Amino acid sequence: MIIGEYKTDYAQDEGIWNTWAKKLGFLLALAVLLLIPFVANDYQLLMAGQIAIFVIAVVGLNVVVGYTGLMSLGHGAFFAIGAYTAVAIHQFFPHIFPLITLVISMVVAGFFGFLFGLPSLRVKGLYLAVATLSANFIVLFFIRQDWLEHFTGGRGGTETPNAYLFGTELVTNQQKYFLIVPITIVLFLFAQNLFRSRFGRALIAIRDNDHSAEILGISLFNYKLKSFVISAAYCGAAGTLWAYFFPAILPEDFGLNMSITLLICLVAGGMGRSLGPIFGTILILMVPEILKMVAFYFSEGNASAQIYFSPIRDIVFGLMIIGFLIFEPMGLVSIWDRFWRFISRWPFAK
Amino acid sequence: MAIKRRTLLQAGAAFAAAIAAPSIVRAETKVWRVGASLPMTGPFATAGQLVAPAFAEFETVVNDNGGIGGIPIKIEVEDSGYIPKNALANFQRSLAGGDLHYYFGDSTGFMELVGPTLKGDQAVMMGSTSFASVLANPKERPYQYMAGPTYEDQFEILLRDVAAKGGKTVAFIYSDTEFGRDPIAHGRKIAGELGLKVVLEEVTKPAGADIESHVTKLAQANPDYALLQGYVTGVWPQLIGAARAFGLTTQFMGTFWAMEKVVADKVTDQAGPFLDGYQGVMPYRYFYDQENAPYYRELAAQKKAANPDFPGYVVTWELEGRLNLELWKKSMEMTLEANKQITADNLMASFRSIKDWDSGGFFGSPVTIKDHKIGQGRVYRYSADTKLFTPSSDWLTT
Repeated sequence: MIIGEYKTDYAQDEGIWNTWAKKLGFLLALAVLLLIPFVANDYQLLMAGQIAIFVIAVVGLNVVVGYTGLMSLGHGAFFAIGAYTAVAIHQFFPHIFPLITLVISMVVAGFFGFLFGLPSLRVKGLYLAVATLSANFIVLFFIRQDWLEHFTGGRGGTETPNAYLFGTELVTNQQKYFLIVPITIVLFLFAQNLFRSRFGRALIAIRDNDHSAEILGISLFNYKLKSFVISAAYCGAAGTLWAYFFPAILPEDFGLNMSITLLICLVAGGMGRSLGPIFGTILILMVPEILKMVAFYFSEGNASAQIYFSPIRDIVFGLMIIGFLIFEPMGLVSIWDRFWRFISRWPFAK
Repeated sequence: MAIKRRTLLQAGAAFAAAIAAPSIVRAETKVWRVGASLPMTGPFATAGQLVAPAFAEFETVVNDNGGIGGIPIKIEVEDSGYIPKNALANFQRSLAGGDLHYYFGDSTGFMELVGPTLKGDQAVMMGSTSFASVLANPKERPYQYMAGPTYEDQFEILLRDVAAKGGKTVAFIYSDTEFGRDPIAHGRKIAGELGLKVVLEEVTKPAGADIESHVTKLAQANPDYALLQGYVTGVWPQLIGAARAFGLTTQFMGTFWAMEKVVADKVTDQAGPFLDGYQGVMPYRYFYDQENAPYYRELAAQKKAANPDFPGYVVTWELEGRLNLELWKKSMEMTLEANKQITADNLMASFRSIKDWDSGGFFGSPVTIKDHKIGQGRVYRYSADTKLFTPSSDWLTT
């Protein structure tokens, strides 16, 4: 079999960017990410920021769903915990360094991940999905409580603080981009490395066959729970950045809808693959926007025409997702794989 | 062919002219750009789809009459799905498309989300569907306004009417949403001032509420009046129906979003006449009340001319959208008359200075803007026989 990846030692085999194509791809991606804030308008930066934040959460969800094989429909709740924790911290320390807020929010969200991950020790599959579903309702119930209104804003939501970086308040989308994207890259690389470690391989073993993994000496209790904690902490980080990025948050922003959106991003991108969350998030967040622009182009924004274009746009998006799942069930990342396999073998093989 | 220096320069000049031409043309063909996010899909798609044609009609009528200050308007509508984040993306995209002179938002959530970003070159005059009390705050939200009274004002109007009609006890029944809770604290205060006793505060789900349980509690409290808040099409008709079936004599009252004739008529047609006697506050005249409303008569004629099958009624939700646009138009005209540049600050200054404006019949009294709102309303009563809401109070101001 021609694989186009000739390695002469273990160091090469373990490298993240072990082919010239991957190295080039990573450098190009970095260059593009660096260029975006200087050429994009506010709308494009809004979308870029949202995608970067969602990528963190979907990477986190990938840890528990894609790599450990545990279904979760409750990660929107951890996202909310991260966002509201950041708001609460800033009430006490208005100019706190954002990375400290980020770490605290991750710890708090991780703790809740621990609590809601406990059912994973007894149930799995759809039963676990239903158990984690409760996280959305429980967390949002507390956020809406009057006695917590001082911290959460209650049902009406709350305005969020801007981050202060070395004395500078990050106000514009461009400034916020420079906070969010580097954190996304670091957390993405951390997750990617996680699955080259003993811990990550143990999670994969649990996903592939938990009984066999246990026989091999992997503590299911320990690893499943850690997987939940890490995953929730990632969503907590995403929530914190969400609070910094948007001027206000509402309880309705989170919850079940967000949990499902995160899961759809992961499935569309490719579960259990490091690039899957990136592709899935871009697809799920950008396609509706692109369809909206296409509808706008043809209708010229005419209100009467939008009555027909808007539902059609939703139908097209739904059909696209169905078609995508039928023809690319392994996610967008499999197209990417085929493309790079071709590039890395070129010119010796197709 | 050899390329000479002169040919090269000529080609360069032609290329530069071709690049620059669109911007020159754009500058000459100026329009007043208006953006709007409407819920054309999602839970409030019915409202969005009913309101949308009004935006297209408004654009046509204004442009047919010479635009504003001789310049045509262009209204660009996009779907939000009633998701604030989507509406924010729509707004940012509209801003990126060039000069934006007005924006219409579709929800309190969007207005709260976008509010803090409206500053500097992102400042735009902005109206919306919302009557949330937090938006009537010129200091915190200098570019946002509402085309009517806040929910607090509406609750106050109802409570005053209850006191005037000799009511002694009231219940507040509201949905467990920001929309539902908005006027409750203010309502308690006003009830106390008017000597009304609040005998029950009942929180329900915004949809799919446990009607029997709520009605049982209402029966135990047995108030003279029950004020409903935070509903649009659901819950409130079921509550009233169940209360009537229970034999309760409590009178029910609602606010703007639960006062639409189309909804009341549909309930009456499908479930019987139990909404007979239902009352509530409406900031605007109903469309069929055209005697003192020249604007309504003109609008009816326009609609009839455009569509001979026009049924003769315009939903109150559309009237709200139209009034928002009319207030923007009025602010534009005032700003242009004062020879000031069209900026968000100048538009809002003009808006704030609107005093004793004849709205053409939307309101019973001339309109004066105070705290970015219009604190007027009237209590109406629904008749299941005539299927009309008719006034049961004078115009009240807050």
